[in-house]
Amino acid sequence: MLKARFAPYWNRWLARRLPTAPQVTLNQRRIFIVPTRVGAAFGVALVLMLLAAINYQSSLAYGLTFLLLAVFLVTILHTYRNLATLVLKAGGGNAVFVGEHARFQVRLESGGRAHQAIALGWPPEPLEIYDVPANGAWECRLGQAAVRRGWLRPGRMRVETRFPLGILVAWSWVDLDLAALVYPRPLPGELPLVPAAGDEEEGNRAIGRGADDYQGLKPYQPGDSKRRLHWKAYSRGQGLLVKDFAALGGRELWLDYESLSGDMEMRVSLLCHWVLALSERSQAFGLTLPGLHLGPDEGEAHRDACLRALALFGVAR
Amino acid sequence: MSTPQALPRVALTWLLVAQALAILPHFLHVPLWLAGFWLACVTWRVQAFRMKVGYPGPTAKIALVAVAAAGAYVSRGTLIGLDGGVVLLIAAFILKMVEMRSRRDGLVLVFLGFFVVVTSYLFDDSIATALYSLLPVTALLAALIGLQQSPGAVVRPQATLRLAGQLLLQALPLMLLLFVFFPRMEPLWSLPVPDKKGITGLSDNMSPGDVAELSQSTELVFRARFEGPLPPRRDLYWRALTLEHYDGRRWSQGYAAQGYGAPPAWRRQGNPLRYSVVMQPTAKPWLFGLDVAETDRDDVRQMSDFRLQRRRPVDRALLYQVTSWPQAPREVNAAPQGMRRALQLPSAGNPRTRAWAEDLRARYPATPDLVKAVLAHFRQEPYVYTLHPGEGGADDIDQFLFETRRGFCAHYAGAMAFVLRVAGIPARVVAGYQGGEPNAAGNYIQVRQFDAHAWVEYWQPDTGWVSADPTFQVSPERIEQGLEEALAKEGTFLEDSPLSPLRYRNLGWLNELRMTWDNLNYGWQRWVLGYQGEQQLAFLQRWFGAVDGRVFALSLVGGVGLAFAVVALFLFKPWVRLRDPQQRAFRDFEILLARQGLRRHPGEGPRDFARRAAAALPRQAAAIDAFAHLFEAQRYAGEPAASQALRDALKAVRRALPWRPGVSSS
Repeated sequence: MLKARFAPYWNRWLARRLPTAPQVTLNQRRIFIVPTRVGAAFGVALVLMLLAAINYQSSLAYGLTFLLLAVFLVTILHTYRNLATLVLKAGGGNAVFVGEHARFQVRLESGGRAHQAIALGWPPEPLEIYDVPANGAWECRLGQAAVRRGWLRPGRMRVETRFPLGILVAWSWVDLDLAALVYPRPLPGELPLVPAAGDEEEGNRAIGRGADDYQGLKPYQPGDSKRRLHWKAYSRGQGLLVKDFAALGGRELWLDYESLSGDMEMRVSLLCHWVLALSERSQAFGLTLPGLHLGPDEGEAHRDACLRALALFGVAR
Repeated sequence: MSTPQALPRVALTWLLVAQALAILPHFLHVPLWLAGFWLACVTWRVQAFRMKVGYPGPTAKIALVAVAAAGAYVSRGTLIGLDGGVVLLIAAFILKMVEMRSRRDGLVLVFLGFFVVVTSYLFDDSIATALYSLLPVTALLAALIGLQQSPGAVVRPQATLRLAGQLLLQALPLMLLLFVFFPRMEPLWSLPVPDKKGITGLSDNMSPGDVAELSQSTELVFRARFEGPLPPRRDLYWRALTLEHYDGRRWSQGYAAQGYGAPPAWRRQGNPLRYSVVMQPTAKPWLFGLDVAETDRDDVRQMSDFRLQRRRPVDRALLYQVTSWPQAPREVNAAPQGMRRALQLPSAGNPRTRAWAEDLRARYPATPDLVKAVLAHFRQEPYVYTLHPGEGGADDIDQFLFETRRGFCAHYAGAMAFVLRVAGIPARVVAGYQGGEPNAAGNYIQVRQFDAHAWVEYWQPDTGWVSADPTFQVSPERIEQGLEEALAKEGTFLEDSPLSPLRYRNLGWLNELRMTWDNLNYGWQRWVLGYQGEQQLAFLQRWFGAVDGRVFALSLVGGVGLAFAVVALFLFKPWVRLRDPQQRAFRDFEILLARQGLRRHPGEGPRDFARRAAAALPRQAAAIDAFAHLFEAQRYAGEPAASQALRDALKAVRRALPWRPGVSSS
């Protein structure tokens, strides 16, 4: 509760102290260090040992207590050193659809020393643990669930280490400006296809027939897209059949946001499905969003541009 | 840390090693069934790790705990107290190993291990124990490190051990500072102490055979270091206690002497002897000193019979400073009726001795003459000093004085005190040690159990208490040279321990070795074990002058801070620029080309720069390309970084370039 109240101040302070950067070298400005719960237990054990030393007037018990206390102090340096001079570099994040896991690449580079048991992640999700060899680097792929379309920015990442003894934790909050694009979740459904302007009749017909209709099933031949396999038929034991779509050959189609009904997410999801479906069939199409026209065109670049536009449509930033 | 994490293999290895190392010294005093219990549990744990058997279920755990507790109770008779407690602690340590599954369990085990090591100090605090305990501590730290290593890491156990060793080494200076400066406190409350039943030594009652038995033991009793020269051996009568009560068979401490009576009257006179004594634990409260002894300790009092007594039994090595006044008269003005205790005799027994004593009294009315006559009797009659006097019967003094005439110091002292008492002279037996072996290396003497001795002191008005030693009349060698020489003819010195190095004192090198070892132990006791309270204060005052609390705290904090900084410097080596070796190589590459007048433009990538350089220097193009290619491959293509290859490529560039001084000097 207290934590929640102070969170804004904490975050503002962090943002000032540790600004966003694509590459971060951990140093004394960025590393914090405190004893862990195990460290507290270690302290309690030391107090018990000290009591035994005092009550038994045993120099050796004093000696062991002090030795372990000294180990505790020296471990501060070792724990800090395990994190210091480590370089974190932002890699790209791949684009995913809502419901999938976005993977962010982070490259851990050693500044000369080996770094053992470095934990990375975004709490409260469990952190992933990596080792970085001396003078080497390690590519980490950190997953994050994509729940909303748009830019997925995981925000400040926690990097921490408890090595070597686990009695202290050295950590930092690093903002590597990681971002991954999240496309809408594709939603199969009826879609009004608006043909290019000037060809109204054909367009009406297309709408009347529905683009989802296919002419029928034909036997699978090598080279046919696997996406069009009719699995239901296969499961009924009818052999491998491919859905043969009505060729709307050569005609330019427009996927129009305005022509759809429903809420924004549903419309965007439907459009997403059709962007994928039409690209699969190498069908040229155009996308019309309020204030944005793309295409008509075909190919991967066009598809990605459309998906990107859908992902970012109506989303802040 | 929310889900229990599995135990890394390295951690398990080191936990097993650490457990073995930590328990081992305890087998000297814990019941032996624990060894079997431990072996069974270790086997179970290893098999569980290899998935051959399962972990113990709840029933099995309860059964194991019950077995351990019952075993501890049966073998120790109690679960309370140190001995029972240690058995329980070790049993818990063993059981935790069996049920250990997660890292958290591993941590508990490590902490238990530290406690097991600490308890081993309470039973034995020799140098060997201290050095040995570094092994389990290192292994426990290695286990702690192993618990933190990443699950995927393939680490050899030796690497983990090396890191643990480094941690300990770096902690050592800090530990020494803390040890020297941390203020020592008096015990906060009293704790059960290790059972010292097995300790041999003087007891508060004595039959003639007891001292002879003691003289078979070579165990160390105490060491004493004198300021100034060692007094001659024949003056070293170390008083432990006096035996005032005679029941016809045994001499024992009188009831009055046991209590805290008023301190006896005496006067400091003559030259004092100053020395410090480090005594081994005796589990008895009395201390050793030459007459008349005073100590510096608050918890030690001089009792009515001039012995020194501590408030608590000496259950660990104890260091104390003594000042003795050998010429001090003792209880000169005491009322003769107060000496009744020193005249106590059983109502009957030893009739011949009584008759002889009364006869002596009649012949020598003056006490000194009578004592002289008794001593002369021992000297002139054919008495034999022997460890094997034979069994005494009902009237054993009669038997000894008039028939066997064979005896050990206790026989002589007992008989003489008896005779003096019959003659009306207050007398008592003093038990303690006589002599000691000087250690040339350390300027101190060591007193062992076989130096145990008994002698007599008697009282007369105006003179006070006077010591007399009948043994000296019979066997002057015993007093002037020691037991070994006194028994040379008989050959019974340490006859039960043929391998004792003390029997081979005539072998020069062996004796030297023994003396050096003893000196080391003495230093250990004096400077490490005895580093408590006053000893610490005296040490700090010697080095830092008058010490007040603030200086104390400041030097502790400052010293620790300094040591910490030194370790930090050692670890971080800020004078070494910790830069990426690839970048360092590339910077050198830039410097090389800058000499040729080629500077990298801001924002120009390595590849473009190299292409431009290769175009400008066509003869060196091959070397430049090779370097740039390797750099790119390592830097960006994620090839394993081999800094040596990069440096070799750089060297090739340097060789290829002509040396043109003056072109550029950056």
